Amino acid sequence: MKTIIIGYGNPDRQDDGIAWHVLQQTALRLGLPVSDSWEDELPASPELEFRFYLQLMPEIAETVAEFERVCFVDAHTGQIAEPVRLVELSPAFQASPFTHHLTPETLLSLCLALYERSPQAALLSVRGYAFGFDQALSAQTAALLPQAVDLLHGWLQP
Amino acid sequence: MTQKITIEPVTRIEGHAKVTIRMNDDGTVERAVLHINEFRGFEKFCEGRLYFEMPSITPRICGICPVSHHLAAAKAADELTGAVPPRPASMLRELMHMGQIIQSHGMHFFELAGPDLLLGFDADPAQRNVLGLAGANPELTLKAVNLRKFGQEIIKTLGGRRIHPNFAVPGGVNKTLKMEERDLILSGAPAAIEAVKAGLVIMKDWAERNVEDINKFAVFPSGYMSLVTPSNGLELYDGQIRLVDQTGAQLEKFDGRDYLDYIAEHVEDWSYLKFPYYKKMGYPQGVYRVGPLGRLNAVDHLDTPLANAEHQIFKSFTPGRPVENTLYYHYARLVETLFAIERAQVLCSDPDILSGDILNTRQDYRGEGVGILEAPRGTLIHHYKADENGRLTKVNLIVATGHNNWAMTEAVDSVAKTYIKGPVVQEGMLNRVEAAVRAHDPCLSCSTHAVGQMPVQIEVLSMQGDLLQTLQRD
Repeated sequence: MKTIIIGYGNPDRQDDGIAWHVLQQTALRLGLPVSDSWEDELPASPELEFRFYLQLMPEIAETVAEFERVCFVDAHTGQIAEPVRLVELSPAFQASPFTHHLTPETLLSLCLALYERSPQAALLSVRGYAFGFDQALSAQTAALLPQAVDLLHGWLQP
Repeated sequence: MTQKITIEPVTRIEGHAKVTIRMNDDGTVERAVLHINEFRGFEKFCEGRLYFEMPSITPRICGICPVSHHLAAAKAADELTGAVPPRPASMLRELMHMGQIIQSHGMHFFELAGPDLLLGFDADPAQRNVLGLAGANPELTLKAVNLRKFGQEIIKTLGGRRIHPNFAVPGGVNKTLKMEERDLILSGAPAAIEAVKAGLVIMKDWAERNVEDINKFAVFPSGYMSLVTPSNGLELYDGQIRLVDQTGAQLEKFDGRDYLDYIAEHVEDWSYLKFPYYKKMGYPQGVYRVGPLGRLNAVDHLDTPLANAEHQIFKSFTPGRPVENTLYYHYARLVETLFAIERAQVLCSDPDILSGDILNTRQDYRGEGVGILEAPRGTLIHHYKADENGRLTKVNLIVATGHNNWAMTEAVDSVAKTYIKGPVVQEGMLNRVEAAVRAHDPCLSCSTHAVGQMPVQIEVLSMQGDLLQTLQRD
């Protein structure tokens, strides 16, 4: 199935950038070439594509709508009990009153509303502990990276 | 018994803003305040870095308008090194800036303001959003998404990558524009113009039907500020700063490098964000507004035909005086989007845009530079001082949301007093207060986002701190 992995977050804010590390390590495990810089393009083939963004934006819906499966990868806070969590997602709008923040559920809703299709979707999220001005992950979040890569790798298997 | 209501959209760690509404016993609002609780310390963070790193570092301030910081940083570095960019380089920078204006304004109007305008402030929140808009008008929504994409593609074409641009350097830019890239931009402009025209039709229709709301929704006098051309036309990338008073009369017109002679910042103990004001008038008499409404009030004309015609209509709302209505920020935003598309066409139609003369390597090092441009939300100021080795010793950033800090609080206070009648606060009342902030399109978040965003909450508290009422929006 045509699949896209979309990571998002800010790698300049420590654990907020965990998604890029998950994408990089997963690509490496699949034997795909990948750069050391989160600002470079990630691997892309007709069947499997990796993309990383600072944040989700409405025009990404056009890309997502072209795929059969999508997995979003993000950080999460202590509001979610599990340190690493993989959940299925459905289209659902979530308001963001003051900001430009767009959730993956909202993005899926846009796919449906604009392109009349929405891929099978999941969200992989990893607990973040530190969000200062630094590109290094906290030791606690870095320790969760292998588990997150395992989960994503497993999700990718047919 | 006085009640206190707090509206607090807390994103995970920033806790970036909240509105506190203090109510009297009779259910009227005594005072409403917008608190900016975010403190990033970016200026201190930058001190000690090398000046030429700033165009790469400062875009990380914001995920919504990184181009504005990128270009303002490059302009400050131009001045710091005394390296004036060649004309083609300035044109290419301005073209990238137009891409930023188009994508940012387009997103705001259609996705944040559009649902309020098309579906109504009192519509069910489950419907009053971009998806409700898509359901009501899918063709328009697709046009809006493509408009934003058009702006993003300009940025990507010049910046070379999707996330942070790598383009402007002290003295110019590091990449030429190819003819086929230029042609692709030009080919997308007509559809972008049509999308904005569709937005203007919606805006005008809405304005006609909602005159009463527009005329009581946060209407207040202030000064206005913008960059201008020598003939006081709208200028988004360069030019002098023009400041006009509440009647529209010019107070000052000055070079950006002299901004400290004219602008000072007031501090309140309830907000991390300072309150800039016109120094000679003092605070709060010297407060002013920036951004689309501020700019269209501070300029006399626009130098592109379609946008100028719309500006004339805009000015006709209050003949001979500035437009004070906060809701007309949305109208002004569309006029500016039209201007940015037309301006991109003008730039792309000039043969110099394809020139290879893009970098001035001759420097006359001065050790201090100010870079100013009109970011989507308003005037953005970068001011750097560096030692003889180019290491920054002082960094001052005044961002657009800062300039509008007073105006946003004033708008929140005005709207709360006009629309909120207690003791029970209704959803539509809350949305109007949020809309007063949204009209300014403040940039309060952006640095980090993750799963776990908190909903909007309103708490009604007694003077003793007892919780009387809670409203929550998921």
